Amino acid sequence: MKKFLLASSMLIASAFGAEAQTINILMESVPDTRYVQEMLPEFKEKTGIDVQLEVVNYAEMHTKLVPQLVAPEGSYDVIIVDFYWVGEFTKAGWLQPLDERIQADEFPVDNYIPSIMDLTGKVDGTTLMLPFYNYAMGLTYRKDLLEDPKHQEAFKAKYGRDLKVPTEWPEYLDQVKYFSEDAGIEGFKGVVNQGQRPDPISMEWSNYLFANGGRYYDPETWQPTLATPEGIAALTQYRDSIQKYGPIGAANFSFDDAFNVAAQGKAYSYLTFNMFRPVYDDPASSQVVGKMEIAPVPGGGMNGSWGWAIPKSSPDPDAAWEFIKFIESPEIAKKRALLGGAATQKQIYEDPELIEKFSYYPQLGELLAYAQNFPVFTYTPEFVDVLGRELSLAVADGKDPKEALEQVDKDFAELLRKDGKLQ
Amino acid sequence: MTEIRLANVTKTYAGGQTAVDAVDLTIHDGEFFVLLGPSGCGKSTTLRMIAGLEPISSGDLFIGERRMNEVDPKDRDLAFVFQNYALFPHLTVKGNLTFGMKLRGVPGPEQERRLAEVTAMLGLAPYLDRKPGQLSGGQRQRVALGRALLRDPVAFLLDEPLSNLDAKLRAQMRTELVKLHRRVARTIIHVTHDQIEAMTMADRICIMQDGKVAQVGAPMEVYRNPANTFVATFTGSPPMNLVPGRLEHGAVQFAGASLPVDVRASGGDVTVGFRPEDLSLVAAPARLPINAEVVAVETLGADAILVASLIGGQEVGMRVPADTALSPGQPIAVHLDPDRLRLFDPGSGKTLPRR
Amino acid sequence: MTAAIAQRDRWFGFAMTLPGLLALLLVVLFPILFTLWTSTSDFTLLKPSNDAFLGLSHYTQAFATPEFRHALSVTLAFVVAVVVLEFLVGFAVALALDKVEHGKAVYYVILLFPLLMNPIVVGLIWKMFLHPTLGIVNYVLSLVGIPPVDWLGVPDNAFWTVVAVDIWHQVSFMIVLLLAGLAALPKEPYEAARLEGAGTIRCFFWITLPLMRPVIVVTLLIRLIFAVKTYDIIYIMTRGGPGQATELVSYYIYRRAFVGLDVSQASAMAVILLLVVLALTAWLHRYMRSLAQ
Repeated sequence: MKKFLLASSMLIASAFGAEAQTINILMESVPDTRYVQEMLPEFKEKTGIDVQLEVVNYAEMHTKLVPQLVAPEGSYDVIIVDFYWVGEFTKAGWLQPLDERIQADEFPVDNYIPSIMDLTGKVDGTTLMLPFYNYAMGLTYRKDLLEDPKHQEAFKAKYGRDLKVPTEWPEYLDQVKYFSEDAGIEGFKGVVNQGQRPDPISMEWSNYLFANGGRYYDPETWQPTLATPEGIAALTQYRDSIQKYGPIGAANFSFDDAFNVAAQGKAYSYLTFNMFRPVYDDPASSQVVGKMEIAPVPGGGMNGSWGWAIPKSSPDPDAAWEFIKFIESPEIAKKRALLGGAATQKQIYEDPELIEKFSYYPQLGELLAYAQNFPVFTYTPEFVDVLGRELSLAVADGKDPKEALEQVDKDFAELLRKDGKLQ
Repeated sequence: MTEIRLANVTKTYAGGQTAVDAVDLTIHDGEFFVLLGPSGCGKSTTLRMIAGLEPISSGDLFIGERRMNEVDPKDRDLAFVFQNYALFPHLTVKGNLTFGMKLRGVPGPEQERRLAEVTAMLGLAPYLDRKPGQLSGGQRQRVALGRALLRDPVAFLLDEPLSNLDAKLRAQMRTELVKLHRRVARTIIHVTHDQIEAMTMADRICIMQDGKVAQVGAPMEVYRNPANTFVATFTGSPPMNLVPGRLEHGAVQFAGASLPVDVRASGGDVTVGFRPEDLSLVAAPARLPINAEVVAVETLGADAILVASLIGGQEVGMRVPADTALSPGQPIAVHLDPDRLRLFDPGSGKTLPRR
Repeated sequence: MTAAIAQRDRWFGFAMTLPGLLALLLVVLFPILFTLWTSTSDFTLLKPSNDAFLGLSHYTQAFATPEFRHALSVTLAFVVAVVVLEFLVGFAVALALDKVEHGKAVYYVILLFPLLMNPIVVGLIWKMFLHPTLGIVNYVLSLVGIPPVDWLGVPDNAFWTVVAVDIWHQVSFMIVLLLAGLAALPKEPYEAARLEGAGTIRCFFWITLPLMRPVIVVTLLIRLIFAVKTYDIIYIMTRGGPGQATELVSYYIYRRAFVGLDVSQASAMAVILLLVVLALTAWLHRYMRSLAQ
């Protein structure tokens, strides 16, 4: 990380000296940014354009972006957009349509996985972004225990089905129960959850909702549909996961807290962002090297992704497009994936060289194909806040799941009306 | 009879310095006793040891027949008045005065009676509801005294109680303290660095120097017959003149003069001491004159101090009438009564005993 | 003549302070006035400009919002808890330290250490320490046979845990101020009281406490004003949860503005908070002036 910061600051320094064309990009400090960084010399060689990355924490990004987007000419040529912000940025009309450029250069947009393209690509028929990297959620589980004949036997005896990678949601719930109550492993739990408000709990619970066949709203009318039997079942199961089957404290676990429990080998399963799958195999931060595997969440997991976009305030949109075209070209996308990037294009997950390197790529491809999207509208962040509050009240403070979800529906509907989505 | 007696009392601090060094003192019942000395001489520490505010390192303290070294301060039956009065700033005058009585559980009506008595005595009645911050220095002083009086102790210990007052008020309070002493007829131990206070108020003075007792005696005794050069210069204003001289054949020679003296020592170098009022101007041809030259005349009002330079260059002060018209540089002849001469050993500073 | 000099001095003084005054105007007064304006207008992050005058509607809306009222009540409980507990702990430690004669500097350094730390760091460290299964605190408890405690996952626990972490972080502030107050107390009233027969406890209640009153009041108020603004440790440790147990008002206002995008509404809430803090400050100012007289 230090090296990376040093490199970017040197880059900034060199940018002042050079007369060459330079573009500025605001990015988040995550691994995928590092892989982009490594592609920059090649881009410079090809186009002569210098790229200056400003790397900040997630919490700072929104506050830094907005003033630049509002200005007639901002300081960023290219920006990256979390799916959270898509509604807001679109509503405010801050992004340039990319369709003409795509057509002119015959850029292969069909490579993208459709659900991801829906999330951070096309909005109401117009292409405003190209997907950058995905953070769809998957089920990470203890492969070694799943394959242990002793557990297979005991599980079958008690639950009347085979212990295998779950393809049905109730099957997974049985496994959670088994490893918490029946497996007889000291201090070991069937699941660890991230129950902290607002994003961790909202993102994770979405998997429970989708797995139960529930959905956030009626796609025809935008009418919220959470206080339904599916939603209530999902919240009841989620509450039980935390309060009955999970480790104590999960009701306030952030991503790190929960991941560490799984990585220390204290839980059978954890629903998490797929890009963290490789970390389980890093001995520096894991006690379960080679023992964890990822699978699609039965019923379809929660999708998430970032997209590249050219803001209307971009000082040099042509150079910006050159960069996006380069960094998202199949060749460079593969190079980034080889470094560990969380790809958004289908062919990557079928590439033999990549499957050779990352054995879990076929599962990942499948996971992405079935991933479902969170509601994207102008007030997505505020909706996450409301949802997180009510879920947390139900999980930790004894609020009735039905009541909590009715409250969410009510507030959700109000936000949708404010946004003009719901009449 | 409640006599306060210090036997070989010593105070040594943790750092090793000795503040009070083997002090022997007896303070008689009802006496106005003044501990006098410059700052750092151990007088306050001695007082605080008597009060019990400082532990005694070695030696014994008796009040009456009872040894008091380990007795709690509150049980020594002494009242203490602090230099800055130590009033409780958050309490009214009345609260300050009744603080101790409340602590000791004196019944309410009794409290009121004694409070009325003391406030009348000190003229504090109009200020009972004021806080110390609203009082003048003299009024605060009175409250501090009132608090001490209300204890009705065997002795009052006063630690430089007048030093924070202006000159006029100080003079007034001196008189009041003496009156008060007569009225309550209790022992007072008064610590001060001001020799005028000591001279004007004390029945007896104890002069301390470097933690030791230099001299104990009645004011005039100390003034007339100082035990050493330190006492000689610490008392009187201006202090006693000290000039080097030589003792030979029953006479002391100094500044070109030779005066007969009555000491046991036979000869050698001495320090000659005499008070400014023991010198007088004489017409030139007089018996045993000392020749000098005027340096300056400092008029005090009632009289003046003439600073004169003797043969040999020593400057001495002499008390002269206020209307003395002399100008600097003028030669004068001075007369000194040999009986008033005091001789000191120039090495130890101690007085040479008379025959 | 002297009047002319005084006049000239006044002008010179004014000229010297002018840059400072202008800077203050720019960085303090301008944002406050802008916030006031925004709070009566329709500024959102989607439409970042003040276009319509909406009067006090955002203020009535604020008090009509159950979450805001809830955040105010949690903040009140939090402020009372941290200020009272920090005062009791701080005063006890200050009294003990006041008697220390050797190595005071060492104690000072140890005590000031938490105060020098960024609240973000404090939150992260304690979150790590208090991790229910992997943290050191529960591990140490397990050594003496105490079952693991769910520090942050249960609403009541979470509230008191956050209070405790805040105390750990901020109590030195109280200690240092109170210790300075104790060190400045005159010695003689204690000696006078001792001669009158007052013991340690009497001395404390009859002398120390009354004499320390101005220092105590100022310390409590300063701490109170800062406690009202607590934000960082909540952001790091609980995000207002679990449920709404640690929903402090500063964090709530931040979310109204940057998550809810409703800057005008958040401004109105911020102004309400500002008025509360201002009232406390004004009272403090008046109290200090009355002491000076």
